[in-house]
Amino acid sequence: MGRIENHPILGASPEGKLVTFYYNGKPMEGMEGEPIMAALKVNGVMVHRYTAKTHEPRGVFCAIGRCTDCVMVVDGKPNIRTCITPLKAGMKVETQYGVSAKEA
Amino acid sequence: MDIRRYDMIVIGAGPAGLSAAIEAAKHGVKPIVFDENARPGGQLFKQIHKFFGSKEHKAKIRGFKIGEELLAEAEKFGVEVVLNATVVGLYPDKEVTVKIGEEIQHFKGDSILVATGASENMVNFKGWTLPGVIGAGAAQTMMNLHHILPGKKVLMLGSGNVGLVVSFQLMQAGCEVVALCDAAPRIGGYGVHAAKVARCGVPFYLSHTIIEAEGDEYVTGVTIGEVGPDWKIIPGTEKHFDVDTICLAVGLSPMSQLLDQAGCQMKDTRGGFVPACDAEGQTSVPGIYAAGDVSGIEEASSAMIEGRISGITIAEYLGFAEKEEKESRISELEAQLDTLRQGMFAPANRGKKIEKTEEGIAISENLLVKGFVSDEEIGRFPGVTKQRKIHPVMECTQNIPCNPCQDACKRGCISIGSNITSLPVVDKEHECIGCGLCVASCSGQAIFLVEEDVEPGYGEVTMPYEFMPLPVVGEKGIACGRDGKAVCDCEVTKVRTSPAFDHTNLLTIKVPNDMLMKARFYRAKKEAAYD
Repeated sequence: MGRIENHPILGASPEGKLVTFYYNGKPMEGMEGEPIMAALKVNGVMVHRYTAKTHEPRGVFCAIGRCTDCVMVVDGKPNIRTCITPLKAGMKVETQYGVSAKEA
Repeated sequence: MDIRRYDMIVIGAGPAGLSAAIEAAKHGVKPIVFDENARPGGQLFKQIHKFFGSKEHKAKIRGFKIGEELLAEAEKFGVEVVLNATVVGLYPDKEVTVKIGEEIQHFKGDSILVATGASENMVNFKGWTLPGVIGAGAAQTMMNLHHILPGKKVLMLGSGNVGLVVSFQLMQAGCEVVALCDAAPRIGGYGVHAAKVARCGVPFYLSHTIIEAEGDEYVTGVTIGEVGPDWKIIPGTEKHFDVDTICLAVGLSPMSQLLDQAGCQMKDTRGGFVPACDAEGQTSVPGIYAAGDVSGIEEASSAMIEGRISGITIAEYLGFAEKEEKESRISELEAQLDTLRQGMFAPANRGKKIEKTEEGIAISENLLVKGFVSDEEIGRFPGVTKQRKIHPVMECTQNIPCNPCQDACKRGCISIGSNITSLPVVDKEHECIGCGLCVASCSGQAIFLVEEDVEPGYGEVTMPYEFMPLPVVGEKGIACGRDGKAVCDCEVTKVRTSPAFDHTNLLTIKVPNDMLMKARFYRAKKEAAYD
């Protein structure tokens, strides 16, 4: 979806440090320290997980760590709220199926 | 297990919690504030619009600036704020368990203030769980905190102030808002907020709701339809829009679970499950207080005052302040709060249809349904006068508690008087010098400067402009009406920016004299077209 480079009220967006992370094994770039969700969105990733029983796609809903719709498997750990977890270099972010990184 | 004791434990570092901690700390109380977020300030840092009210309510200051002021004040008075600290339990004997990192820590307060705020409501429709359906708060978080676009094409559901303000913010960030819909028959938020959105060309669909969010993996479109008196969709009224994002602004619910857990007496109200509190925020459990949205949804401005009222009350409860001191401070704060609760949108008027202003002028029907005052209706309001020389035209048509325009004009052209909800009146006796301070001061962006005959047959309209790119002098574009539709060709003749305007640029366009009361927005030629 893209970054806002310049905003009429907030001015130029702060310049961050670009780092590489891995989305389902594929290298992607994001700003260090921004929520994982933000980096994924800029890279066009909308689906964060699929529900266990009915295999429905879910993504970001509240963006403040409340609804848990955006959870993914991060560095092997499931149920990580990607909207409030800061991105780090080398992070492994995987689509979550139910509560695991593998489709059942 | 180690238990740490504090004079005052505040849960939530938003506007109410911080204000309470500051007020108490001023009297020597040592408060500790827990917040589950990585940054303090609650939702204030996402509010980039200018606030309403008067000077004492920090009117015409943008929310995130108020947040910065609050943090600086908290630091000055030594308020301890612990971030990434989620309060997971509150017990009747004022004990608190907090998850910090991977461990649970245990605290005991001589007093507790719960200022946990509210969470966004959701609404169900087919496809409502698809990625791309987001809360309006999420859109604000993405744009204003993380500097990313929530989507390219957005449909907004909800015409309360949140839906209106966020629609405008989406456009400021560079998104297209394809439509704003609401199942209610009338716009719920301030008319001035609706008018800002409408003049950008966003169509309003009142009595409409979402039938379906379309898409297999994520949102690719949306269908809305008109609701009948039975709240069911009227067949044949369906309308489709290609969108990638659907934004929900359908109200907030108090996050009062901790108060319930602590055994406070609760009330099930139309505005949600809230604690029974007195005017100072004291719940049924002595020493446990509540302030801000958790005790009833209002705004950040009132949350800050409520917080301060609870703060001084707690200071007195703990023996840090004298009774007289508390009473005089509270009467001052209550007067401020009372002012904010006046006017058409006052809590007491919720759900009521107001037909006339306090001045007895019929409310614009068009404004309530389409989001803008029609050309025929606008002349009846006291801020709209016809003069040849330059003068302010104030399209402020509802009684809301707000008066910065009156202070902004040093020449005395604008008067509201002592009743803060009165509509602004233009005093023709005082000469307007066209400084534009009133235009920039209006939080509702409802003031324009109009001058006839700057050259034969042509006059000028000056408008507030908060978009990028900023047009340049000499640029030829299209003037749009209050409805967002093109009315005539125009030329940019002046562009003014100043620190005093705080990012509200003043854009002046030259239009034929007969368009001076119609032209209210500017579009560059390439993006606008006549119908």
